[in-house]
Amino acid sequence: MISLSAQAQNVSDSLSIYKDQNLLQINGYQRILQNLEAVPNGMTFGGYAEVLYNQPEAANGEIDVQRLILLFGYKFDDRTQFVTEVEFEHVKEVYIEQAFVNYAVNNSLNVRAGLMLVPMGIINEYHEPTTFNGVERPSIDNKLVPTTWREIGIGLSGRSDALSLRYQAYIFNGFLSHNGTDGLIKGSNGLRSGRQKGAESVFRTPNLSMKLDFYGINGLRLGLSGYFGKTQADDQIYDTYGSTVGLSMLGLDARYNFRRFTARGQYITSSINDADQYNQLTGKDLGSSMSGYYTEAAYNLLPIIKKQRLFVFVRYENFDTHATVPSNIPRKAAFHRKEITTGLSYHLAPGAVFKVDYQNKSTGLAGSDNGQINAGVGVWF
Amino acid sequence: MISSITNITLAALCFFYTTADFDITKLVQKRMQKEITKVFLCNDFNLENISGSPGFQFKNSTYLMDHQIYAINKGDELLGYAFLGTAPSKTDTFEYLILFDQNFIQKKAKVMVYREDYGGEISSKRWLSQFQNSSLGERFIYGDNISAISGATISVKSMTNSINYVYSQLQRQLAVVSR
Repeated sequence: MISLSAQAQNVSDSLSIYKDQNLLQINGYQRILQNLEAVPNGMTFGGYAEVLYNQPEAANGEIDVQRLILLFGYKFDDRTQFVTEVEFEHVKEVYIEQAFVNYAVNNSLNVRAGLMLVPMGIINEYHEPTTFNGVERPSIDNKLVPTTWREIGIGLSGRSDALSLRYQAYIFNGFLSHNGTDGLIKGSNGLRSGRQKGAESVFRTPNLSMKLDFYGINGLRLGLSGYFGKTQADDQIYDTYGSTVGLSMLGLDARYNFRRFTARGQYITSSINDADQYNQLTGKDLGSSMSGYYTEAAYNLLPIIKKQRLFVFVRYENFDTHATVPSNIPRKAAFHRKEITTGLSYHLAPGAVFKVDYQNKSTGLAGSDNGQINAGVGVWF
Repeated sequence: MISSITNITLAALCFFYTTADFDITKLVQKRMQKEITKVFLCNDFNLENISGSPGFQFKNSTYLMDHQIYAINKGDELLGYAFLGTAPSKTDTFEYLILFDQNFIQKKAKVMVYREDYGGEISSKRWLSQFQNSSLGERFIYGDNISAISGATISVKSMTNSINYVYSQLQRQLAVVSR
């Protein structure tokens, strides 16, 4: 945040110049940068927030400060930074979303350790409300990729400027599948309830997470993610057959921008070994594989030179947390979801958005169609 | 298991220790020299800091937080110019280099130091090549003649705005001097 640039900066001069730069567009980040230019340390402060209204057909609506995240960073020197995000969910639940130290070995290699986001698909890493269309995050990024998915680990990240490639590889602590009393993961939302989130986590078997992002074709960004490992179980049950399961997850994602048109899509598939033994031990209904995709197109209705942007978008999702099931449980049609979301994202300024959309949700069950109107405000600074 | 973790930890500590001695000013200068050698196919050049001299007296701004301009000379011959700028990324700053020929046609843009993880994609050679061969009269519009990079929007806009500002300032100043 604070400029420790090669050339020492004259702070007072810079600030007086900024006052004269009314003609230049400036967003929140630059404003913070300006303000903190005068602060003689390496602190960063930022955050994002979503205040949402969900109105299902024939049911009460819900109005919620869904999440408010405060970002703090400290730069010890040009190579060593600490980043943390403190999250308030629904006003009263507090979590730490990220807390890691990043050490830049050189321009193309970083070593980082701590509580970090698992790079899988698009939204888990890029989940700030101004970066995606739709009031709610895509549902596949809730049920298949359990956003915000974060665990404690260590790994490498970096990029190749020549190849236009970003890479990440981490060893993480895995999901907790059994806490000694109950099985935690299940058919309806897959691995979501097994996230340990860095809170007194049980650790026995490391898991491997990797992602490659290629951005060498103008306007296009492609991602390939992989996550491989085994879940964890409480000490008293770890040796019991079925208390843990093996997990492989693969993700493919693409984002495309051309002038006022944008599109994105994501495919996720995961395979779970020993789901039958797990279900037998716990009485749960975990599937043996989960898969699905979403695809989205959007168009900015305002001229490209305007600071404000007004996107109209449509998104289609199709995913199944019971894509295949072990022989000891029935396949539930209700776990095969299809959703169409269409609406508007009105970016008032870089970093502030009003959103409204309509969702039609259905499952594999006949007559399961449900409509929902959503509206919300999002900020990122 | 424990001993292998200890070995890895010791190796990591040695690694960090050997890379800890670090001077970013020297690093930027070294990288600039290397780029000039590569682009101008010349080893025996010298750099003359002309920041603040007539034609180059422009101020920093929101998207140009610091800058230096050098004339690249080989003996008495002017080969071109090197512009070093500092621009904001999401929560930090980055340094970039623009190399011009003697007529201020851009030969190359390169990100010299990018500090944070977010937005580092702007260092892509492919993306930066969009600015190549441009003259000071050209202006760049994000999403129009400069393509977006998903996940690096803030830095893409910052770099685009920074180059626009530098071009407009150089164009204005040089016009005044030549009058």
